[in-house]
Amino acid sequence: MNATQAQPRRDRIISIDHISKTFPTPLWRLRKFFRRSIKPPVQALSDVTFDVRAGEIFGLIGRNGAGKTTLTKIIATLVQPTSGAVKVGGFDSVRDDEKVRAQVGLATAEERSFYWRLTVEQNLMFFARLYGLSDALARRRIIELVEQFELKDLVSRRFGELSTGNKQRMAFARAMLSKPLVLLLDEPTRSLDPLAAARMRSLINSLAGGSPPTTILLTSHNLTEVEELCARIAIISRGRIRALGTPKELRAEHRQTERVRLTVNGLARERVHQILNNDADEIEQQDNALVVSFTRETGDDRFDRIVRALHDDGGKILSFETERATLLEVLESYEQEHEAGEES
Amino acid sequence: MFKAFILPLRRVRAFVVRDFQLAISYRLEFFLRILTILFVVTTFYFISQIFIGSGTRFSEWRDPLAAWITGLAVLNYFMTGFSSLANAIRSEQMQGTLESVLLSPISVPTVVVASSAWDFVLVTFHSSLYLFFGWLFFDVHFRGSFLLALIFLVLTTLVLACLGILSASFAMVFKRGDPFGILLGTGSALFSGVFFPTQLLGSGFHAVSRMLPPTYGLDGIRRVLIEGQGLAEVSEPLVTLLIFLAVLLPFSLWVFARAVRRAKREGSLIQY
Repeated sequence: MNATQAQPRRDRIISIDHISKTFPTPLWRLRKFFRRSIKPPVQALSDVTFDVRAGEIFGLIGRNGAGKTTLTKIIATLVQPTSGAVKVGGFDSVRDDEKVRAQVGLATAEERSFYWRLTVEQNLMFFARLYGLSDALARRRIIELVEQFELKDLVSRRFGELSTGNKQRMAFARAMLSKPLVLLLDEPTRSLDPLAAARMRSLINSLAGGSPPTTILLTSHNLTEVEELCARIAIISRGRIRALGTPKELRAEHRQTERVRLTVNGLARERVHQILNNDADEIEQQDNALVVSFTRETGDDRFDRIVRALHDDGGKILSFETERATLLEVLESYEQEHEAGEES
Repeated sequence: MFKAFILPLRRVRAFVVRDFQLAISYRLEFFLRILTILFVVTTFYFISQIFIGSGTRFSEWRDPLAAWITGLAVLNYFMTGFSSLANAIRSEQMQGTLESVLLSPISVPTVVVASSAWDFVLVTFHSSLYLFFGWLFFDVHFRGSFLLALIFLVLTTLVLACLGILSASFAMVFKRGDPFGILLGTGSALFSGVFFPTQLLGSGFHAVSRMLPPTYGLDGIRRVLIEGQGLAEVSEPLVTLLIFLAVLLPFSLWVFARAVRRAKREGSLIQY
C-alpha cells in the first residue's frame, strides 16, 4: 500500500447545513374550523449543522426524543426538512431524493420492516430487486451477505422464525445489499449477545476502513460502543447539537479535572490525614493498604505534591488510577445545563 | 434508455413475486376463494331458474345468469382498480414495511402502482373464474368481440384507478375513513347495474347511476359479450369513459403529488 492509498479520503459525504424541522399540527385549518383544540407544532430539530467525512464513523448521541431519529430520516429522505439542506454524496435530499436513497442504507432494530412470512432469502431478494440489482447479481450479493452476517444456515427460514439477534443481522445485511456509500445504523448491537456484538463492531470498523470506504452514521444509547467506534461524536439535545468533537475533545470540553486514586502502604490512616492536610478528598482502608482519592485540575501540581508528601513520610505507592469524565457524564451535563437554562 | 425501461419493470416484478410468495404462504385461503366463486356462480344459477320463460324487456338481461356473472366478474375488477392503490399504501403502513420499501431508490408513485400489481393479476384470475365456471357448468355462452370487451375493461379500470389514486392520496393524509371508497364501493353495486338493469332505478337514482364510470363499463361489456354489439354501437359508453379518463387522470396525479409532499413535510408517510 503506498502513502497515497494509506491516506484516508477526507471529502464530505454527508453535509448537513442549518437543518431545522418543525412538525406542523396535522390538519390545523380543519381543526380550527371545527373549533377543536390545536396542539402547538413540534420543533424536532433546530439549526443543525455538521459534516461527515468519507470513511468516518460518526456517532450521534442523545436522549429519547432528542431528534436523532428525525435527523436520520431526513438524511434517508423519508422526512423533508422545514429549512436548511442535506446533501449526501453531493445530491440534495429533497430535489434528488432517489439518487440519495441509492447511496444510503439504513439498518434499524425495527423488526416489522420485513415480511414475516417470507424466508430470509425471499426478503433479501425482494429488496435487492428494489435496488435495481439483476437476479443473478442479487443472488451473488445475498450469498456474500449471508456468509458475512452468519445467516447462511437460516436462508430458508421464515423471517418470523428468526431470533431477535438474527433479525437485527438481517436488517444490517439488507442495508448492505447495494453496497451503499453511507450506512445509517440505529442501535446496531442492541439485541446481540456480547460475542456477536463484538463481531458486529469489528465489521462496522472494517466497512469504514474498506475500499471504497463506507461512511457510517451511528445512533446508539450504548455510549461505550459509540466511544469505541466513533471518530467523532455529536451530542444532540432537544433538537440542537450541543457539542461535537472526538470523544477526547468532548470530555476535555466538559470537564478539565480528573479523579485520581492512589493505593499506598506503609503509613497509618491518621498519619496520612495529617500530612495531606485537606489535599485528599477521601482516604479508605483497603486490606493492608490505603486508597487516597482526590480530584485535580488537569496539569496542576496537586498530584506531584501528594505523591511527594506520601513518599517523604515513608509511604510506598503501589498503584494509581486516573478517571476522566465519561461520555455519559458529558451527555448528562449538557442535559443539566439545558434544564438549568430553562428554569432560569 | 434500455435501463430506464427495464428498471421500473424489474421493480414491478419484484412486488408481484413478493405478493405471489406471500399469497402461496396462505394456501388454504387461495383454494377457499376459488370454492367461494364456484358457490356464488351456482347460487346465481339457481336464482336465474326462477326467471325461466318469464321474458324481459331488457335485452342484456334475457339470460340473467350471463348478466350476473359478467357483472360480478367486472365489478370485482373495477373494485380492485379502485381500491388496490389505497390498500397497497395502507397495508404496507400497517405491516410496518412501508419505510423499508420507501428507503429504496424508487419513487412513491412507483411503489403505489407496483404494490397493487399483484392484485390485478389475482383479480384477472378470479374474474376469469366467474366466466369459466358459468361456461363449464351452466352452459353460459358469450359472443361478440372479446378484444372490444377487454378495451372496455381496461378503460374502466383505468378510470377507477384514477379514483383509486385520489383514495390513496386521502389515505396518505387522513389515514382512514376514505369517502371515495364508501361512495364507490357501495354505490357501484347499487347504481351501476351489477345485479339489475339501471333503467329500473327511478329517474333521480338513474342520474346517479349515469355519474358512475362502472355503469358505462358494465353496459359496454354486456352489450359486447351478451348482445354481440360492435364498436359503432357501443361508441357512446366508450367515449364517455374516455372523457372520464381525460379529466380524472391529470387531476388525480396532481392531488397525489401534493399528498406525498404533505406527508413528507408532516413526517406522516409511514403512519397509519
